[in-house]
Amino acid sequence: METIALPQDLIPFSRPKNLKRLLKKEAPFGVGSSALVWQFLFFYAPLVLMLISSFSRFHIDGHFEGFTLSHFKQILKLDYFLVIFESLKLGFTTACITLFLGFPLAYTIALKGGRFKNFLLFLVIIPFWTNFLLHIYAWFFVLEKGGFLNQLLLMTHLINEPIHFLNTSFAVQLMMVYYYLPFMTLPIYSSLEKFDPTLIEASMDLGATKFQTFRRVVLPVLMPAIRTGFFLVFIPAFGEFVIPELMGGDKFMYVGSVVSQFIMGEKTAPIGIAFTVLSGALLMASSFILYKGTFALNRWLTGGHR
Amino acid sequence: MIPLFVFSVYLFLYVPIIVLVLFSFNSKSFPSPWEGFTLHWYKELFESKDLWASFTTSLTVSTLSTLLSLFMGVCFIYYLSRKQKGENLVPLFYSNLIVPELVLAIGLVSYFSLFQVPLGFQTLLIAHTVLGLGFAIPILFVRFKELPPSLVEASLILGAGPTKTFFKITLPLLKPALLASGLLIFVISFDDFLFSYFCAGTSVETLSLYLISSIRFGISPVVNALSTILLFLTIPLALLFFSSKKGTEVF
Repeated sequence: METIALPQDLIPFSRPKNLKRLLKKEAPFGVGSSALVWQFLFFYAPLVLMLISSFSRFHIDGHFEGFTLSHFKQILKLDYFLVIFESLKLGFTTACITLFLGFPLAYTIALKGGRFKNFLLFLVIIPFWTNFLLHIYAWFFVLEKGGFLNQLLLMTHLINEPIHFLNTSFAVQLMMVYYYLPFMTLPIYSSLEKFDPTLIEASMDLGATKFQTFRRVVLPVLMPAIRTGFFLVFIPAFGEFVIPELMGGDKFMYVGSVVSQFIMGEKTAPIGIAFTVLSGALLMASSFILYKGTFALNRWLTGGHR
Repeated sequence: MIPLFVFSVYLFLYVPIIVLVLFSFNSKSFPSPWEGFTLHWYKELFESKDLWASFTTSLTVSTLSTLLSLFMGVCFIYYLSRKQKGENLVPLFYSNLIVPELVLAIGLVSYFSLFQVPLGFQTLLIAHTVLGLGFAIPILFVRFKELPPSLVEASLILGAGPTKTFFKITLPLLKPALLASGLLIFVISFDDFLFSYFCAGTSVETLSLYLISSIRFGISPVVNALSTILLFLTIPLALLFFSSKKGTEVF
């Protein structure tokens, strides 16, 4: 059938009969293309346009005047690079701490949870499903000068004077970890759920110690999930600006707050766009390096074995 | 050792929530310690017009963007079911998760301002739907690939056309994935702050925007009451997510 139809397909517009056939053949694409159109119109087009306009000069009435590097020249200052570096650092530490907390959590739920497995997982997801601004608000109650934590510490005589927890980098980091913990826990959990526990028994039976089993059997299987979790935390944490702003006061500057200040300002919007492009590019570059790094780390941790 | 560690992680997750809920019933507002039980703040909450207006806006935007992205997702899967080659297009949707939300939000704002589209409800809906597509298509695609091809083949052999097969066989089998991704998109959209902040303009206020202004304004037990209610509203939603069979696999 196909071989007979082929020559006719090469000249699809020659006869109305073929046009009809072409339409029928391509109809599924017509139906399915809505998602593609949306994606190009509101995802790729804005990003490409942003990239172009960060290099362009516009007249006051809005038409294009030519290419320029002046927007970038205005942000080529050490301070701005330090802001980007601080954001990268925040993303990285958040990802590492959530891994440190999330891994044992996922491990315990998946392999030791037994009957309560679903319930324990449910408890991890609940906070993730309510508006995160409410969690910031909740932490105010805990960290405030007269708040829960200070009262607890005063009551147990660990401290004599209330500590200022709010508006410190500690508060920012704490809130970041609180919010991003499920993003790390869930991928690791779902990978562990598919993991066959008899592999551990087999490894122990064959004489490996607990540590060796973990290193040579468990870790290599979990590495893709850890990588997913790491970037699910690292990338959004980089652009986070509500948490640093509310928990840290105006003391700490991260990419998000700088961008929003530029964009909200009337004339500084082009600089804001250039800064977004620059920080986005640096984020991508560092993600790429970290991504490669995880493979090297994996080889080192597992001793080159898969 | 490890159980203790895990227990403290749970404590870390729940202490703020418990404190928050508890203080919504306190008759004196914060920083004063526990005074007595009251429902006063709940009454005040239900009388606050701004809050309900922003709540309705958020609900509408999230529902519409979820339905839109699921609809487009299903159409796209229909296309994949007809054309093998279409699968090469799926990676185009993965980038929604890689590009930081902040970058996309700024991109959309400058895009809208270039074409002089006024910021408001429609721009907010567009932004949230882009976010939703990034979840809908990868999740639906994974489930679509897992479906046993024999079922589709059987249907085709028994004389159903490809379109009928899609609606009678493929779509019902995709239901759990549709439910899981739909709930996830809804929650993410309802929770979203960045897109609301940049793409909503001044005329539209979502719940996130309302909350941040009331948090900046100072601590009020009315917000506690709201959190308590929202918290208890999420529980059935999350249960539904779990019942949609391995909902967590979407990650």
